[in-house]
Amino acid sequence: MKHDDKSTANPEDLRLLLQALVDGELDAATALEIERRIAGDPALAAEHASIAAVSGAVRRQPRPEIREAFQARIAAIGEDGTAAPRPAARHVTAHRTSSFDWRAMAASIMVTAVLASGGTWWAMRPAPASFADAVADAHRRGLLAASPVDVASSDRHTVKPWLDGRIGLSPPAADLSAEGFKLLGGRVEVVDNVPLPALVYRYNEHLITLVAAPRGPGRGIATPAPADLSAGGFSVVHWTDDAFSYWAVSDAERHVLDDFSSRFRKAVAKG
Amino acid sequence: MSGRLAGERFREVVLPHLPDALSLARWLTGNVHDAEDVVQEACLKAHAGIGTYAGGNARAWLLTIVRHAAYTWLAKNRPSNLVAVGGLSDLDEFALQPDAASTPEAAFLEKADTDALQAAITALPLIFREVVVLRDVNGLGYREIAQMLDIPIGTVMSRLARGRGTLILELGKGQ
Repeated sequence: MKHDDKSTANPEDLRLLLQALVDGELDAATALEIERRIAGDPALAAEHASIAAVSGAVRRQPRPEIREAFQARIAAIGEDGTAAPRPAARHVTAHRTSSFDWRAMAASIMVTAVLASGGTWWAMRPAPASFADAVADAHRRGLLAASPVDVASSDRHTVKPWLDGRIGLSPPAADLSAEGFKLLGGRVEVVDNVPLPALVYRYNEHLITLVAAPRGPGRGIATPAPADLSAGGFSVVHWTDDAFSYWAVSDAERHVLDDFSSRFRKAVAKG
Repeated sequence: MSGRLAGERFREVVLPHLPDALSLARWLTGNVHDAEDVVQEACLKAHAGIGTYAGGNARAWLLTIVRHAAYTWLAKNRPSNLVAVGGLSDLDEFALQPDAASTPEAAFLEKADTDALQAAITALPLIFREVVVLRDVNGLGYREIAQMLDIPIGTVMSRLARGRGTLILELGKGQ
């Protein structure tokens, strides 16, 4: 981190620089400059020391222990992708009332059930024409909006965390720029009341919206060959892999979309 | 990705970072028990989305999912804790920087009682608490935090400063 105007830095900026020094986030030249100032200013030195002290105290806080039962429950997810039910003898913390505890438990069971059955539902559900219509509508909205993306970046390492942060999942954002498909960014698309990640690519003057729905446990076999579901005047193709169901929609011609689909699948398979 | 392959990747990518995941969830939810529920939810999502992990910092990837699961949990179970997120301007008055006269000695802070520090961290508004925890407990860099929270680095720095400043003030009260 570089700071060009160190000598006139206001107290607030100076405090941030002191902190960045503690956190090891300064470049060498700036660190040297700040260290010199600390050496010549006892008040600054005291402030630096107290930031370092509180940071160290937080870092040394005891970490929660990973209980064996908990570790086993998480490891079980790795085995089959589903959660083992929580043991019936549920530890109740003293500060919580029993009614609250019940609600919390109900909510957690609900979430698990929705996750599990929702995943299955997505996976088992055939892609009806109406879904293709909905995706085509989403694409149309994207064309009409001021910006077709909510996070504009050609860097998949920016787009993926953004989607993850919003809805907790993000599809592979293949880099196809060398092949003429430039990643413009991503947005969250709500289809049938379900928020889904959408990636937007540009090919010449055409936009391609790629909507991805996660495939849960109990899913059917993957159908890697794209199916033509053209809808609403747009070309739509649909395919699935082990992790996601994809719908790609564009006003570009069908063969462009097929080309995109095959390159995307190739890039994802390569990882 | 086949189920077996997904399971393998899950063991490689997720399991090593379970302690970090649980620590973050513990500070966001307020207790270890709820944290376990949140981490379990997050691990289910991580498993389902393991094919989307594109390499890079696995810990940051998992913590992003844990944070999201924690917010979902908070919205359901502790909506009042999330209120401050909507009104950042209300927080401008918060976290006064300690002035030189009231700054406790560093040596005093270092010896701070664990309970007092825990209470002080727990009392921080969520937006400051999560940045302090991601930095000092999980050891993420400014850039990783900025990316995870989708905020500018400068905002990460000022939230961190205000969070730590508040902790210093609170702990100093016992001096």
